[in-house]
Amino acid sequence: MIEVQNVTVRFGGVVALDGVEAQFANPVSGIIGPNGAGKTTLMNVVSGFVAAQNGQIVKDNQNLMGLAPYKRAHWGLRRSFQKEEIADDLTVAENVLVQVDHSTLTAAHKNKDVAHVLEIVGMADQADRPGARLNSFERRLTDVAKCLVGDPKLIMFDEPAGGLSVEETARLGDLILDIHARTGAQTLVIDHDVDLIARICSETLVLDFGRKIAFGPTAEVLSDPKVKAAYLGTEDI
Amino acid sequence: MLPKLFHITPSGAAGLLFAVFAFFVVPTLAGSLWLNVFTSMGCFTLATAGVAFMYARLGMVSLTQVGLMGVGGWVMLRLNHGFALPFEVNMVIAGFATMVLGWVLALPALRLRGLYLALVTLMAAGGLEIILSTFQFPNGGSGFWGVQTGSGAAFRRPALAQSPEAYLRYVVAMVTSGFLFIELHRRLAPGRAWALIRRSEAAAMAAGVNVTFYKAWAFGISGLLAGGAGALLAGSLGLLDGGTFRASESVMLFALAVVGGARFWLGAVIAAALFRVLPALLNNWGVDADLSFVIFGAGLLHAVIAAPNGIAGQIMELFAGLIQKLSNKLGLVASIVIEGSADD
Ligand SMILES: Nc1ncnc2c1ncn2[C@@H]1O[C@H](COP(=O)(O)OP(=O)(O)OP(=O)(O)O)[C@@H](O)[C@H]1O
Ligand SMILES: [Mg+2]
Repeated sequence: MIEVQNVTVRFGGVVALDGVEAQFANPVSGIIGPNGAGKTTLMNVVSGFVAAQNGQIVKDNQNLMGLAPYKRAHWGLRRSFQKEEIADDLTVAENVLVQVDHSTLTAAHKNKDVAHVLEIVGMADQADRPGARLNSFERRLTDVAKCLVGDPKLIMFDEPAGGLSVEETARLGDLILDIHARTGAQTLVIDHDVDLIARICSETLVLDFGRKIAFGPTAEVLSDPKVKAAYLGTEDI
Repeated sequence: MLPKLFHITPSGAAGLLFAVFAFFVVPTLAGSLWLNVFTSMGCFTLATAGVAFMYARLGMVSLTQVGLMGVGGWVMLRLNHGFALPFEVNMVIAGFATMVLGWVLALPALRLRGLYLALVTLMAAGGLEIILSTFQFPNGGSGFWGVQTGSGAAFRRPALAQSPEAYLRYVVAMVTSGFLFIELHRRLAPGRAWALIRRSEAAAMAAGVNVTFYKAWAFGISGLLAGGAGALLAGSLGLLDGGTFRASESVMLFALAVVGGARFWLGAVIAAALFRVLPALLNNWGVDADLSFVIFGAGLLHAVIAAPNGIAGQIMELFAGLIQKLSNKLGLVASIVIEGSADD
């Protein structure tokens, strides 16, 4: 259970999040909304990159707000960014290994874990390639491997399907759907691809101008007239 | 699949060969004047390795490296004249003392964005310049500052390296160890953390990297090398002068690290050669040594406009190209070499 409790964020005069409240209980949940709705800001609050003026983020009774961002990662928070963040001068395996470097497990154990998640995402044969030589889908897959490694508890993807082809998006969707069975982690997905959201997310939160305008089972939310109105006139749908 | 800890890249092999050459051949060829110049160049290579690594791997700009060398040199001379410890012990203490002082000066800025670190280190360099030129360096006098007028007391060189030739070899060995020390870190968890920090601090934090800690670690290594370099420089002449460690010298050293090529070992060597050998060479030819500033300026312009990886980057590219041509002729695949030389 991920509880977003009354989260408010202001950037100067802009209210990026306005008392947002939601409880995600399903393995995979979605967050959608037009550009500038505050989706990434909500993820940044969960990550600890943006300080909320008000509100709490609680996952399975663990309040994340008191932890420094890197400690949240140690706890089991994982995320990918809207613009992938793979280090060019590290290999694929090293990019994933960073995520568990802090842990006290043996090096052999960590390497096995890295090899295992690379196997899952289908990047095992690329383990020694430098990040600089990956195409955008391979970068995405490496991102996913980073999210799976260690003992993740809460995984967030910010527009993971951006720039991917239909087949690649389908493959990514399969991977995300498998996360809960493999790791027990809960996943939040932001995306503008409503087909992907409809396929993989059981419940979805819709934001518009920093406010929650709908929250519930994805099919219901997508047919909500308020949601349709919010998207009307934006170029993404 | 395991990150390989002990593999040798082509650039690394070239570096080790160069070290062997500098160790065995250079001391036998150089006359006494040039022995001193090359020893000093070696010390500055070690210090440059520190700033260059911080800049290339983390994008951190430190403008106090020569000032920190002064600190290391001061501690070395202070210990040498105050106690009967061996050179090596003094050098290690000087290195660590400099590292700690570097931290104290820079820690507030390490949490902030890059520009602040540059400004804070520049101010630190100014402060160190004033302190070192006011109090000068211990030369066997009494009291804490240990300065006496007239000729100074004797300096104890390492037992292994009494003669100028042996001392140059000693410095070459230390510089090589310094490079290997950095490279070892780069291949372990700190190196991975640094690579991610350079990519983006947010990405690093999301990956569980304690950004301030690993920046401080890098700054600590750089300070340690500066302190060691200062200690070695003190051992070269047995005394030091405040004029060597002016803030402007720190700025110059950073600029030359960029001109030389901060990503490569060769860049640090080129920077130190420009810094120490070029002025000596001009002097030798009877040309005003200030001409070197003009050459540095041209070099900097060149680096900014045409060679983002510095002179060393251009040389490495040239070699990679040559090796590829050669191996094409031999029917080999050169991709491994090319790949390796893109990075030391
Ligand atoms: N660091 C910041 N400083 C100031 N304003 C910000 C900052 N981050 C976001 N904002 C503003 O907050 C609002 C929400 O931005 P956010 O990035 O969360 O939107 P989003 O829903 O992720 O949009 P998109 O779909 O385009 O990624 C926008 O008006 C944005 O300009
Ligand atoms: Mg966004």
